[in-house]
Amino acid sequence: MNVNFRQFLLLAFALLSLPLHALSLKVQVVDPADKPLENMVVYLEPLEGQQQGKTTKTVDIGQVNKTFTPYISVIQSGDAVRFYNQDDITHHIYSVTGSHKFSIKIRSGQEMLKQDFAQTGEVVMGCNIHDWMSGYLLVLDTPYFDKTNSGGLLTLDVAEPGQYRLTAWHPQMQEKDNRLVQTFTLLEDKSIILKLNQAMAEIPQQQSDDDFYFLSEY
Amino acid sequence: MIKILGITLGILSAGSALAVETEWHGLADFRFGSADTLDSYIDGGMGKFGQSDGQQVSLSQLGAELALNWDSGISGHVVANAYLDEEESGIGLTEAYLKYRSLPNASGYRWQSKAGIFYPSISLENNAFAWASKNTLNSSTLNTWLGEEIRVLGAEFMLNRLGKIHNSKHDFSLSGAIFGNNDPAGAMLAWHGWTMSSRQTLWTERRPLPDFEASRPGNMLSHQAKESDPFIELDDRLGFHVKARWKYRGKGELSSGYYDNNGQPYIVKKGQYAWKTRFYHLGGKWRLAKGLELSGQYLNGATLMQSPNKEDVVNNDYASGYLALTKKWRQHQLTLRGEEFSVTDNDNTPGDNNTEYGKAMTVNYRYHYVKNWFFSGEFNWIDSERPARRYIGQPVELTERQLQFSARYFF
Repeated sequence: MNVNFRQFLLLAFALLSLPLHALSLKVQVVDPADKPLENMVVYLEPLEGQQQGKTTKTVDIGQVNKTFTPYISVIQSGDAVRFYNQDDITHHIYSVTGSHKFSIKIRSGQEMLKQDFAQTGEVVMGCNIHDWMSGYLLVLDTPYFDKTNSGGLLTLDVAEPGQYRLTAWHPQMQEKDNRLVQTFTLLEDKSIILKLNQAMAEIPQQQSDDDFYFLSEY
Repeated sequence: MIKILGITLGILSAGSALAVETEWHGLADFRFGSADTLDSYIDGGMGKFGQSDGQQVSLSQLGAELALNWDSGISGHVVANAYLDEEESGIGLTEAYLKYRSLPNASGYRWQSKAGIFYPSISLENNAFAWASKNTLNSSTLNTWLGEEIRVLGAEFMLNRLGKIHNSKHDFSLSGAIFGNNDPAGAMLAWHGWTMSSRQTLWTERRPLPDFEASRPGNMLSHQAKESDPFIELDDRLGFHVKARWKYRGKGELSSGYYDNNGQPYIVKKGQYAWKTRFYHLGGKWRLAKGLELSGQYLNGATLMQSPNKEDVVNNDYASGYLALTKKWRQHQLTLRGEEFSVTDNDNTPGDNNTEYGKAMTVNYRYHYVKNWFFSGEFNWIDSERPARRYIGQPVELTERQLQFSARYFF
């Protein structure tokens, strides 16, 4: 009797916790020669109105040694971005295209919190003092995103099964809209390999052509 | 009321505290030099280096630049330089201007304008703080001349097309400047020829001319002042400079331009003549391999100075060019530079032969000790033929040599 009751409880617990157990989606991004690609943004969008959470994160975009660090950042719309100038000189960060146009000057050692990334899209950033600096921020309306590791891999924990659209994005990806897209139904843990059709373009070096530090603009 | 006033003042002071940022930079260049040459042109001689024959210790540049940056994109710049040596010490301003830089637009175009006292953008060597040359101690003869005689009071407009906005590695810029206060440019080049140093003429500084036969009492150029004042306005006419540049990110750049001071060559005031001086210039640098850069500039032009009754007194063509190869590895850097220069005298003024032809070589080794300190050793060799040296009893054919050691501190 006792045993049966325990079994019932276990079964009930298992059933109740089923929706809470996330489905695991493993993704690898590789180039046409099957070489794993690091720092590719991969995100998943539900196509059947599945529930998706809302992240409340603050993402750091540093200015370190006159570079945007990291080169690519991803947020869910509404997340905050903290620009942090760790150099000993001023940076003048701008975005002049797309839906998020802005220009902020940040002095040495200072930071600035920007919380108005409400619309989705690509934010292409530069510095009006150091033309070689370039950085990207991708604003998404899904909490399912990450960047691939050195093995080109990432894992997304998805709350609900259903149909999804999986996208890999990188500004130097030589595909339509810099994206590779695949639609599929997720019913159980799954692994997907996204293989690019074209080799990646060269990622711009964020460094001055002149490495002498004490330059003026002549 | 008091509250509102308090809030307003608070906003204003916060606003102004944010609005302007002050930036200081500069360098100190301590040198020991040993030269086999004549009395330096700095001192009114015909020696081509910044020091006269012999040895000397000098503070060959103490340069400082102050920038005030407003958030609006407007900035104010003042550059001062000082020299302490056995030739002629001095302290003063070399540049002072306001600058505005817009943000690029969505197509990658960006405006920049400048107004005040500045160098027309020509030199590819002198782009360190306070117009110092970063790879060598002595600038090339081409850029030494720009530092001595080419500086303007004017306005410059530049349109830049940034490739990065289009995922391109190619940047283009076009600039145009109108200016005054550079009418006597060409006089020093005519009378002492091409020279090689790190000296910049201070704004309002007068430079002594060497002695030559036509300048002596009773001769054709006896009314010319003994010191040239290169940055003055004499004819109330505007000159111009235009330049185009192509930059290939990660590889190099090529540029070309044309300068014309539009001087009315027969105007003379207090012994200072307006010279009609114009030249075109070409320049480029290219990364041949990692840490290996080839760079070069070439300048070619003409100058004309006439008597008040419009007879040619000095009519010269001139040219100078250099090629430099710079190899950098870890803290070490080696630069080799070869040059060729000439002045062709086209007038018949007696006792004033400005003709010159020469070649020069520079070998520089630079050691980057810690972040702000650089130690260098440099050898310069100039071999030239200059008939005007006869006027001061010196040989027409002359080889000059200089060896310098420097400790430079940038801040």
